[in-house]
Amino acid sequence: MNFFSLRKSKILILIIVILFILSLNFYQKEVKNFFYLISFPAQKFLWKIGDQISDFFETIFEIRTLKKENEILKLKIQALLSENISLKELKNENVILREALRTGLNKEFKLVLAEVIGKDMDRDSILINKGSRDKLIKGLVVITQQKILIGKITEVYPNFSRVSLISEKDIFFNAKIIDKEISGVARGKGRLKVYLDLIPQTEKIEKGDLVVSAPGKTYPKGLLIGYIGEIKKNDVQPFQKAEILPLFDFKELKTIFVIL
Amino acid sequence: MKTILLILFFYSLALIQISFLPYFNIQGITLNLILILVIFLPLFNQNPIFLIRTSISGGFFLDVFSPTPFGFHVLILLGVTFLIKIIIKKYLRSPIFTLD
Repeated sequence: MNFFSLRKSKILILIIVILFILSLNFYQKEVKNFFYLISFPAQKFLWKIGDQISDFFETIFEIRTLKKENEILKLKIQALLSENISLKELKNENVILREALRTGLNKEFKLVLAEVIGKDMDRDSILINKGSRDKLIKGLVVITQQKILIGKITEVYPNFSRVSLISEKDIFFNAKIIDKEISGVARGKGRLKVYLDLIPQTEKIEKGDLVVSAPGKTYPKGLLIGYIGEIKKNDVQPFQKAEILPLFDFKELKTIFVIL
Repeated sequence: MKTILLILFFYSLALIQISFLPYFNIQGITLNLILILVIFLPLFNQNPIFLIRTSISGGFFLDVFSPTPFGFHVLILLGVTFLIKIIIKKYLRSPIFTLD
C-alpha cells in the first residue's frame, strides 16, 4: 500500500467516524440519556466534593456564623416576599384571601420534586434527575421552594431533563415591578444576567425594586425573579432598561420543583 | 488500547467540567478543560492521528453533556486543531514546544 492510498484510507476513516457521530443525532435523546444515566453516580459524587471544597474556601474568607445567619435570613425574606406577592395578587384580582402563614406552594401548583445533577454555566442551563418517565414534558416551568423562578424545561430525556434558566440568551418573558405595577419584558443575556427591558421612560424605577413574572404565555404570574440592579436610562431611547439580580443562587441550586 | 484510554480520559474531564468546576467559576465563566487541552496538545505532539483522536473524543463528550447536537463540538475542535497545526508549521520557528 503506497503513501497516498494509506493517506486516503485514513481520510476515509475520519469521514466515516464524523458521519457516524452526526448520525447519532437521530437517536440524540437515547444516547444522551444513556450517558447521563451511567454518569449520574460520578456526577453526584463530584458535585458533593465540589460543594464541600467550595464551601471550605468560602469559610476561609467569610466569618462562618455571619454567613449561616445570612443564608437563614435570605430564606426567611424570600418566603415572606412570596407570601406578600400572593396576597397582593389576590387583592388586585378580588379573589378569596389565602392563609398568610405559609407559602402554600403545594396548594397552588401540582409539583414534582427534582434534584439538580449538572450545571452548564456557559449555556445557562441545568440538568435535573427527572424526565419523561416522571411525566415531564418540554415547556414545564421550574421554581424553587420559595417560588423563585428558575426557568423552563427545554429538553426531556427518559430519566433526565435539561432546564434553560431565565438568564439564557434570547429568552424573554413578561415581568413587572411589584408595588409599582410597572410592566416590562425580562430578557436573558447569558452568563446568569437578566435585564428588564421596554420600561417606559416616564416610569420611575429604583435599585432594589422587586421583579416578578407577569401574566403571559411563558411563565405563570407572581413568581419571584429578582431585584433591580443597575439602571440604564438614556433620554434618546424611548425605553429604559435595568439589570435584574436573580434571586436564585446558581451555585446553591440543589433541589427544585417542576410545575406540572 | 490507547484510543480507549483517551476516550476514558476525556469522559472523565467532561464529568469534572460539568459537575465539579461550576463551583469554581470566575464572574460566571467556567474553565473549558477539554478546549484548553485540545489547544495546547499540538504544541507538544504533532502526530496528526493523535490530534484528530483527541479532538473527536473531546468534542464528542462536550456534545453529550451540552444541549448542542452531536458533531457540533467535534467539528469545532477539529477545526481548532487544524488551525493550530497550520500556525505552528508556518510561524513557529523554534522547535522548543514540539516533542514528536
